[in-house]
Amino acid sequence: MTTATVLLVLVVVVALAFDFTNGFHDTANAMATSIATGALTPRVAVVLCGVLNLVGAFLSVEVALTVTNAVVKIQTSDGLPRPELLTGGGSDLLLIVLAGLIGGITWNLLTWLLGLPSSSSHALFGGLIGATLAGLGTSGVNWNGDGSKIDGVIGKVVLPALMSPFIAGLVAALGTWLVYRITAGVAARFTEKGFRWGQIGSASLVSLAHGTNDAQKTMGVITLGLIASGHWTDTENIPFWVKASCAIAIAAGTSLGGWRIIRTLGKGLVEITPPQGLAAEGASGAVILISSHLGLPLSTTHVATGSILGSGVGRPGAVVRWPVAVRMVAAWLITLPAAGLVGALTWYVADLLGGGLLGALVITGFLVAVSTAMFLHSRKAPVHPGNVNAEWDGANPDDPALPAVQALQTEQHLPA
Amino acid sequence: MHTLSLVWEDLWKITVASLILGAGLPALFAVGIRSLAYGTGGDAEEHGAGIAPAPHPIGRALAGLCFAIVLLVVGLGIVLIVASGFGQELSFDSIYPTIQDK
Repeated sequence: MTTATVLLVLVVVVALAFDFTNGFHDTANAMATSIATGALTPRVAVVLCGVLNLVGAFLSVEVALTVTNAVVKIQTSDGLPRPELLTGGGSDLLLIVLAGLIGGITWNLLTWLLGLPSSSSHALFGGLIGATLAGLGTSGVNWNGDGSKIDGVIGKVVLPALMSPFIAGLVAALGTWLVYRITAGVAARFTEKGFRWGQIGSASLVSLAHGTNDAQKTMGVITLGLIASGHWTDTENIPFWVKASCAIAIAAGTSLGGWRIIRTLGKGLVEITPPQGLAAEGASGAVILISSHLGLPLSTTHVATGSILGSGVGRPGAVVRWPVAVRMVAAWLITLPAAGLVGALTWYVADLLGGGLLGALVITGFLVAVSTAMFLHSRKAPVHPGNVNAEWDGANPDDPALPAVQALQTEQHLPA
Repeated sequence: MHTLSLVWEDLWKITVASLILGAGLPALFAVGIRSLAYGTGGDAEEHGAGIAPAPHPIGRALAGLCFAIVLLVVGLGIVLIVASGFGQELSFDSIYPTIQDK
């Protein structure tokens, strides 16, 4: 096997691993509210979400080959790799993509460990930007397009991310307020039952939309690697096995359930009732679908978090834990640079080791080591279906909630 | 700054459409729940002790209508996802939705 072939295998495996983390990182976006209100049991919720992600991923047959073009210049506009990166059987390009993916996964796992929802797309883009900066310099990054249309890191990633939580929050706050106004005078037990059905429906829609939006990105990255190493030539289609494996990876990740993040979104941010859950997921579903329909897809994570927060603002008397929100926003702000830093550092390390087989194996080994360490650390304070809905204030001494979460309560001085 | 205005142009469209669908549909669903409670009567509505409200069939009919509209719009949303995946798009040019090539 040539160096490029081994690199390609590494890229495919690491890309699928990224897709898997993308899945469990984002289960919360669709299902946290339904799990928190008991509309669905935790297990049923994540499996439903996984199945709908699988269906969604297969429905997204639109070619996602130009996915990296939004942020970096390693492809031409028709999806082919830039010819100058194809020396050595494409290994230059493959190394950048590999380092970028490692940056994305590392950040996804770290934020999962801390129970923070952060955008998987931002982590992927951040990693790719970092690796490209290291490999090609600042001219390799598409900062702002050519100004004629929305493009580049600023136009497609940073500006939408700054605005999307506010849009989603506004929609959800208005929805929640309306729902409570309209159902005033109806017995609580009656409304809860009805709204649980609405919640399940709206959460399912968000799950499906997630599958169509997110699995595409990994499909695009893998196909780019295949083209760069000369294993695929068609820029109009992607190989079926790529689509199938990406769909399965994201669905498997989703069905595993990122319980730490589900807990933060469902219990930590706001105490959610079924009407709020419906308003939040309804707002998320509408914003995600409308924005991708209009060609400016917004991050599912930012939208879902904004919606849940908005549903707390819109319900009179609801508890909104602003310090939790501040921690999330902090994580969002550093997602791009942090994933970028890991992407850049791993590229430098691989380059120092000759930029070939040895370098690629060493940085992949680094990824495996870091992932294992974070997984083992998570076992010390596991969050699972049995405790995901435990009271946030930690009044129960058996509550194995996150130490990070408990530190937060100390900051907030919440009454036990 | 040009990018800012381009992004803003898209974002306000997203905001308006999302407010109509994302807040409007949950509100319509809530109208359905309220109508259903009115239609069911008895303990579905808050009432004083011993004077349970009578059921009103019209409430059930109105509830059915509300839920049907919500389901219809959500159904269109799913068609939108599926259609765009297959390189088609949903068009409202002829008032009722049709699927056409992008």
